[in-house]
Amino acid sequence: MSTMAAPAGNNAASSPLRAATTVGGIAMFARREFRDAIASRWFLLYTLAFTVLAVGVSFLSLSGVGSSGFAGFGRTAAGLLNLIMLIVPLMALTAGAGSIAGERERGTLLYLLAQPVSRTQVLLGKYAGLALALVCSLCIGFGVSAGLLAWRAGGVGVGAYILLIGFTAMLALGMLSVGFVISVVSRRTSVSTGVALFVWLALVFVSDLGLMASSIIFKLRVQEIFGVAILNPLQSFKMGVIVNMNASLDVLGPVGDYASHTFGAVLPWLLASTMVAWIVIPLAAAMVLFVRRQSV
Amino acid sequence: MRRGAVAILFVLLGAAAPLAAHPMSDIEALIDAAEPGGVVLIPPGVYEGNLVIDKPVVLDGQEGAIFDGMESGTVVEVLAEGVTIRGCTIRGSGENVTAEPAGIRVLAGHAVIESNTIKDSLFGIDLRQASDSVIRGNRIACKNFEPARRGDGLRLWWSHNCTVEDNTVLSSRDMVFWYSENLHITRNTVKDSRYGLHFMYSHDTVLEGNELTGNSVGIYLMYSNRITLINNRMLSHRGASGYGIGLKDCDDIVVRGNALLANRVGMYIDNSPSSIGATGTVEQNMIAFNEVGLLATPNTHENVFTRNAFMENEEPAESNGRGRLTRNSFSRDGFGNYWSDYTGFDLDGDGIGDVAYEPRSLFHEMLAVEPNLRLFVHSPAQQAIEFTARALPELQPKSVLVDPAPLARPPEIKLASPPADGAAPVMASLAAGLLLASGGLTVVFGRSPGIPVAPGGRE
Repeated sequence: MSTMAAPAGNNAASSPLRAATTVGGIAMFARREFRDAIASRWFLLYTLAFTVLAVGVSFLSLSGVGSSGFAGFGRTAAGLLNLIMLIVPLMALTAGAGSIAGERERGTLLYLLAQPVSRTQVLLGKYAGLALALVCSLCIGFGVSAGLLAWRAGGVGVGAYILLIGFTAMLALGMLSVGFVISVVSRRTSVSTGVALFVWLALVFVSDLGLMASSIIFKLRVQEIFGVAILNPLQSFKMGVIVNMNASLDVLGPVGDYASHTFGAVLPWLLASTMVAWIVIPLAAAMVLFVRRQSV
Repeated sequence: MRRGAVAILFVLLGAAAPLAAHPMSDIEALIDAAEPGGVVLIPPGVYEGNLVIDKPVVLDGQEGAIFDGMESGTVVEVLAEGVTIRGCTIRGSGENVTAEPAGIRVLAGHAVIESNTIKDSLFGIDLRQASDSVIRGNRIACKNFEPARRGDGLRLWWSHNCTVEDNTVLSSRDMVFWYSENLHITRNTVKDSRYGLHFMYSHDTVLEGNELTGNSVGIYLMYSNRITLINNRMLSHRGASGYGIGLKDCDDIVVRGNALLANRVGMYIDNSPSSIGATGTVEQNMIAFNEVGLLATPNTHENVFTRNAFMENEEPAESNGRGRLTRNSFSRDGFGNYWSDYTGFDLDGDGIGDVAYEPRSLFHEMLAVEPNLRLFVHSPAQQAIEFTARALPELQPKSVLVDPAPLARPPEIKLASPPADGAAPVMASLAAGLLLASGGLTVVFGRSPGIPVAPGGRE
C-alpha cells in the first residue's frame, strides 16, 4: 500500500488504473491522518490512560488469590468491560469529531480538497487513518494486559480475549463513524467536541438509565427491553463479549436468559451485526453529508 | 522375552480382528458353574443380551470384556447379595424412560462395583435397597441425549452405609442419593451433567474431595440433614440455576474448606436450616469469581459464616428477594470473613478490620424488586447508580448483611490442585503479537510523510 501511495498521490491523473488511484488516494490520506494522530498529545494521553487502567484492572482482579489459575479471564474481563465502555467510545468519538471539523477550522480542508482527489477519498482516507491509529492504541493496552494475564493467570481464555479485542475494535470503529457524522456537520472543533461528549454521555449513561427507568415505569417485557437495549452499541458490545465468554447471557438475568433461549447460536452474530451496522450506517451518512456539501 | 512376544501377539490379534460376539448365555453358564463366592473370569469378547446375577460371585472382566444390552432393558441386573463386578465394559441399555433401564442395577446389598466402564446407557449404575455396597473407580457416560431425557449416572435408592469413591460421571443427569444414610462420597468427578451430587432425604453423610465442573448445579442438598462437605471443588456452574452448592431445607450442614469458583452463584441457601435448634456452618471456604458469592432467601437464618474468603465476586452476598441476611452470623469467636471489596482499615494490626463490613448496593436493591434490570450489570450506568447512592445518603439502602469482624487479610485456604494451564505461552505470544503489530504499524505508517504535515500539526 505504501509503495503505490506515493506515485498515485503525486500524479494521480496520469495513473492508468483508476481503481488503484482511488485506493491510493485513500491510503495517502490514511497515512497522513495516522501520522498526525499518533503525534497528537490527546491520542498519546488516551493510549496511556487506557493501557494503565487496563493493566491496573487486570492486576487488581488477579491479585490476592493464591491459586491464580482459577481467576482466568472471566473476572478480569468483567472489570475491563466497564473500563472499555467508558474510555473507548470517548476516545473514538472525540477523535472522529475533531477530524473534519479540525481541518475546516484550521483552513486546511480547503487545501486538501484542492488535491486531485474526491471528497469521498478524503473522508475515507481520514477514517482509515484514524481507525488504524485507534486499533493500534487498543493493541498496546490489550497487549500489555495480555502479557500480565499470561504471567499471572497462565493464559486462560485466549479465544475469549481475542474476541474481546475484536468487539472492542468494532466498538471503536462504530463510535469513530458517529464522530465523523458530528464532524462533517460542525464548523468548529469546540462545537463538534461538545456534541461528541454529549453523545458519549447519552450512550454511556443516559440511555441505560432511561431504559432502566422506563422498564420500571412502563413494566416493559423482556423482549422489549432486549430489543431496545441492543440498539445501543455499548449494550451490544457488552452482551457480545459476555456471550462469547460464557456461551450464554445467564449473567444478565431474565433478559439475558430470554435472549439466549430465543436466539441461541445466532445471538453472537446478531450482536456483532448490530455493531457492524453502527460502523457502516453512520459512516455512509457522514459520506453523503460531506459529498453533498457544496462549500468547504 | 517370550512373554512379551506373546503379549504383543495378543494385542495385534485383538486390534486386527473385531471382538467376537457371544450370546449372554455363555456368561450365565460360567456363573452357573462357579461356586458361590467364586471368581468368574470373563474372557475378552462382546456378550450380547441381558444378564441377571442371582448368586454371590465375583465377575472379573479381562481387558476387552464387553456386555452389550443391544439397546434393550437393563444390561446387568444383580439380585443376590455380595456380588462383585469388576473391570467390565457395559453398554447399550434400552432407552424407555418409564422402565429406567440401567447399565448395572443392583437390588441386593454388599455389592462391589469396581473399575467398570459404562457407556451408552440410560441410567449408569442404579442401586435399590442395596446397603453396604462399594462403588469405586467406575467411568460412566450416559446416552447422548438432550439433558431433559438423560438418566442418572449413579443413583442410590434406600441404600445405607455405602462407599462411593473415585468415580467419573460425564454428561448424565445426576449422581443422586435418595433416602440413603451414612455414605462416604469421596473424590468423584462429575462434569457436564445436571446436578453433580444430589441428595434427597439422605442424612448423615460426608462428601469429601469431589470435583464438580460445568454442571447445572455442583452439589444440591435437599431435605437432607447432618451432611458435611469438605474440600470439594465446584467450578463453572452456569445457567439459570448455576449454583456451586445449593441447600434446600437442610439442617446441621457443615461446609468447610471447599472452593466455589466461577459459578453463577457460589452458594445458594433456601431456608436452611429449617428446623428449630438446627444450625448451618460455613467456614474456611474459598468463594471466588462468582457472579454472586452467596445467595440466600430472606427467611434463611441461624447460619454461621466464618473465615471464608469472598474474593472478587461480582456481588459478594445477595438476598434472593426483598430482605436482609442479618439473621445469620457472619463471624464466630471474633473472626469474620475476608471480603475483597472491604474498604475499612485495621489500625491495631490484629488482622481484624476495625470497621464492620456492611455491603450496600442500591443497584442490587433495585434488582431484588426488578430482576430484569440485571441486564445492566457490568455497565457504567450501574456504577452511576452506586455513585449516586453514595453521594446521597438518603438513597443508601440497608446493608444486606453485617460482618462485625471482617478479616483484613485473606485466610490461608488450601485448595485442591488447580487446573492445569498450558495456554500461558499462547497468551504471551498474543501479547507479543499485539504489541509488535502496533509497533510495526507505527513504524511503517508513521514515518515518511506523503503530504507535508499540516501547519502547526493537530492537537
